[in-house]
Amino acid sequence: MTDRAEASVSRQAPVVTATDAVAADDWREAVRAAAAALVAAGAAGEGYPEACVRVVEENGPYIVLTKGLALVHARPEEGGLAVGVGVTRLASPVGFGHPDNDPVDLLLAFCTPDPDVHVGTLSALARALSGGLADRLRGASDEQDLARVLKEAVPDA
Amino acid sequence: MALDRRLEVLAVCGVGMGSSLMLKMTAEDALRSLGVDARVENTDVSTARGMTPDVVIGQGMHTSEISELAPVVITVSDFLDKDGLEAQLRDRLTDQGWLS
Repeated sequence: MTDRAEASVSRQAPVVTATDAVAADDWREAVRAAAAALVAAGAAGEGYPEACVRVVEENGPYIVLTKGLALVHARPEEGGLAVGVGVTRLASPVGFGHPDNDPVDLLLAFCTPDPDVHVGTLSALARALSGGLADRLRGASDEQDLARVLKEAVPDA
Repeated sequence: MALDRRLEVLAVCGVGMGSSLMLKMTAEDALRSLGVDARVENTDVSTARGMTPDVVIGQGMHTSEISELAPVVITVSDFLDKDGLEAQLRDRLTDQGWLS
């Protein structure tokens, strides 16, 4: 698994990661893989992936925001070290048990050290998603292209 | 009777920071299109229980827990579907007499 983290992270520029063709047997594996990319990039602590799994176990599959796309995240205190956004494209889709938006083939993982500093990045992400980001990510040619498309969507927000 | 103050809208999700922020932005866009003066906040379901908004928006798995919280409770499954949310808001706010 490779990631596309920026080596030096300023307070404003989010860490951006991309992982492609990730094999996951179920939603837990998919969520762990998506969050692990942020851990590998140094944006989140070791416990973050399991915290992201617990969010779904405790609150339901609401993180599947729209058809085929899940926003993987947990609370800042669960291990957010920097503002990070990662895209994970699955080799084959998994079900989350969402009544309308299953199956999921694309995961956006997110972490932040502070409940307030992430708003700019998430707002930019929301705007980009409304403007067709998910399909641009689905159309990306490879991992590098995935990272490029995501990076465009969250410029130093 | 039109509402003589700003409409208070609450977008809810499980954690109250990520998904509900996305929903808040979609709701703001939809309300702007409808020309409704509104303040939209986002929070988690537990915190929402202590609030008194005019409108609550969330996924069914959450709105079912707080269906009595506000005069208007709207369930959406796609947090990015501005047109769908706008249509629901138009109907429900009109029913309340808050939109003419």
